[in-house]
Amino acid sequence: GLLLVVLLVSHMLLTKEGVTSLPICPNGSGNCQLSLEELFDRAVKLSHYIHFLSSEMFNEFDERYAQGRGFIAKAVNSCHTASLTTPEDKEQAQQIHHEDLLNLILGVLRSWNDPLIHLASEVQRIKEAPETILWKAVEIEEQNKRLLEGMEKIVGRVHSGEVGNDIYTPWDGLPSLQLDDEDSRLFAFYNLLHCLRRDSHKIDNYLKVLKCRLIHDNNC
Amino acid sequence: DLLQWPQISKCRSPEMETFSCYWTAGNFYNLTAPRIVQLLYKKSNEEDWKECPDYITSGQNSCYFNASYTSVWTPYCVQLASKNEVYDKKCFSVDEIVLPDPPVHLNWTLLNTSQTGIHGDIQVRWDPPPTADVRKGWITLEYELQYKEVNETKWKELKPRLSTMVPLYSLKTARDYEIRIRSRQRTSEKFGEFSEILYVSFSQIGIGCDHCTEEVEFPWFLVVVFGVCGLAVTVISIMLSKQPRLKMLIFPPVPVPKIKGIDPDLLKKGKLDEVNSILACHDNYKTQLYNDDLWVEFIELDIEDPDEKNRASDTDRLLSEDHLKSHGCLGVKDDDSGRASCCEPDIPETDFSASDTCDATSDSDQFKKATEKEEDLLCLDRQDNDESLPSLANTDPQRRHRNTQSENSHPWAPFADSIESPRPSVHAQISNQNSLTSTDFYAQVSDITPAGRVVLSPGQKSRLGRAQHEGCTEQNFTVDNTYFCEADVKKCIAVTSHEENEPHVQEQSYKEDGYFTTESLTTTVANFGASTAEPPSSEMPVADYTSIHIVHSPQGLVLNATALPVPDKEFNVSCGYVSTDQLNKIMP
Repeated sequence: GLLLVVLLVSHMLLTKEGVTSLPICPNGSGNCQLSLEELFDRAVKLSHYIHFLSSEMFNEFDERYAQGRGFIAKAVNSCHTASLTTPEDKEQAQQIHHEDLLNLILGVLRSWNDPLIHLASEVQRIKEAPETILWKAVEIEEQNKRLLEGMEKIVGRVHSGEVGNDIYTPWDGLPSLQLDDEDSRLFAFYNLLHCLRRDSHKIDNYLKVLKCRLIHDNNC
Repeated sequence: DLLQWPQISKCRSPEMETFSCYWTAGNFYNLTAPRIVQLLYKKSNEEDWKECPDYITSGQNSCYFNASYTSVWTPYCVQLASKNEVYDKKCFSVDEIVLPDPPVHLNWTLLNTSQTGIHGDIQVRWDPPPTADVRKGWITLEYELQYKEVNETKWKELKPRLSTMVPLYSLKTARDYEIRIRSRQRTSEKFGEFSEILYVSFSQIGIGCDHCTEEVEFPWFLVVVFGVCGLAVTVISIMLSKQPRLKMLIFPPVPVPKIKGIDPDLLKKGKLDEVNSILACHDNYKTQLYNDDLWVEFIELDIEDPDEKNRASDTDRLLSEDHLKSHGCLGVKDDDSGRASCCEPDIPETDFSASDTCDATSDSDQFKKATEKEEDLLCLDRQDNDESLPSLANTDPQRRHRNTQSENSHPWAPFADSIESPRPSVHAQISNQNSLTSTDFYAQVSDITPAGRVVLSPGQKSRLGRAQHEGCTEQNFTVDNTYFCEADVKKCIAVTSHEENEPHVQEQSYKEDGYFTTESLTTTVANFGASTAEPPSSEMPVADYTSIHIVHSPQGLVLNATALPVPDKEFNVSCGYVSTDQLNKIMP
């Protein structure tokens, strides 16, 4: 009963905009069960979409606001998720246990929940913010929520034992987004978008690695 | 020579596991002592600059970082420096500089050929670059294939795709093709280098059609011919089809000039009375003609008698006192206001009642003022009293003027607007035309019956003396309209002419609703002419009326301009009204 509800809910989640696959489990169907492969497929699609949006948003912001301000020179920025020890190369990614990796993914996604909400609202206060940036910020925030819920379903399926520690990094960058000084404020946005692009790329990569490992047995 | 500093040209990672940085040495270090250029790097979380671990693997002026030195999502900074100076610096993270190697092992297989053997489909396959670990999902690549004929210069591109095989359709077997592929990381924008070129030659596998040189071009000629035929057939079928809707859709009717309330067909073929009523009803018409003539009094007719159409003839109507104001002669109430409500535009008014309705709905204030005296121009018989005269007199000079200049311009005036138009004016003109020779005669139209007949009214003089003659009052007149019928007029004229032989003869010869025929008018005129010896006072010494030459067609009533005996023209039994041309003939 509970599993059925979980499956139905996850189906509803993962078939929202951004995920283009046809629903296998129409609502209300009793015997429907999404396979793990299907769950992973949808998760990968979502993560790819989020990374795509983040990348574009960063590029647009860079073009529009960051030229000539030397932001790139200050590329040594640290993201708030840096405290989470995530695999930094292929070897590490292959060595980490898939459950740990799943937990890490969840942790990163959760850590971005808050910043994304504030990003969507604060970016509107940027002077003459292009509509595309505004729209993308809102879209990313929505999709991130869905991916988070989908991942929780996957974790529920994959986890053999109890769910691991609730990995989470708080974000305290809101004041920097609300600075009066325009230069500082824009740099704060630049950093945040840069971190978002990077972390979304990480998530996308980890999910693909997991998918190939768990579903296709390292033979994608 | 420009002095060029050493510069980092690019840093690149082919598989997101290692990366290399390349630089240009510049051209100055030959000038002085050879300087040693170093590449230093630093990860974001480190403090010290370290030197490049491998200057060799990637070639000259390069630095290679192997997997152990590479952290993918970590920001790096590299700088090109010698002992004392920093020449260049770059900061990046490895995931941003991924440019995959080109795909390898390109090959093609034949899928099928066309029946003629001229075209063929092939399937191209390749392998991902060996360095990229796609199998474990560490990197996801997409590929772009380009191909062209061997002797062409421009490459055709296919959309980037994830799969490592793609079909190419409809290649010409007689030609050889070149294919190349390049790849990029899926979320990046930049592509890596192109692969080696793959040559496709159908003749090598024996299906080349070397002698199939004829190019089956697209049969444009046939297409055009058939297209035109089909279109013509469609058009013809639409035109001939009885479906009005379809026809209207494809060939919308071209709007033709149309006067609201007047049906051109009716004018051509309809009954006079219908047309007359339409014209009478047509407010714009009158207004146009007389909008300058504020002094022209239009009689407003109150048409309320529902029995109007039952009347035997206009004569009766005109004569009977009962109809004095109501439904009068034409039963058309005229007023200056644009009468949008005047009848249905395309429905001719064929009877008085309809006209009455029409009139009833129109505003008549203006005319009410003008016709304070309720002068019923139409029904002169009734109104033919001194009331009318003053108004006429007032308007005389102007009318005269009008007459001279505007007669021709308002051919229809007397008739079209006869309902309420200044019959008196016309009349006055006629009577006051000193300038006109005695050969100019006008018939004053006193009324236009709904049937389309013109009632010529007695002249002014005749008005004066109207009371006298009551002849021709009979209902013999078949016309129920204001048109004159020969027979009727004859009778009247005959009756009247005998009675008087003076300038007033006309008035007497005209009854209130006098009907005239050519002969009768002629007679009258003749009589009148005889009496023109009298010096014209304020009135025309000449006859007030012209003889009517009623033409056959219902197009109009011709007034003969001369007082001379008018050739016996035929009368139109239907009593057509005078047309413009005919009226013009009347006037000199």
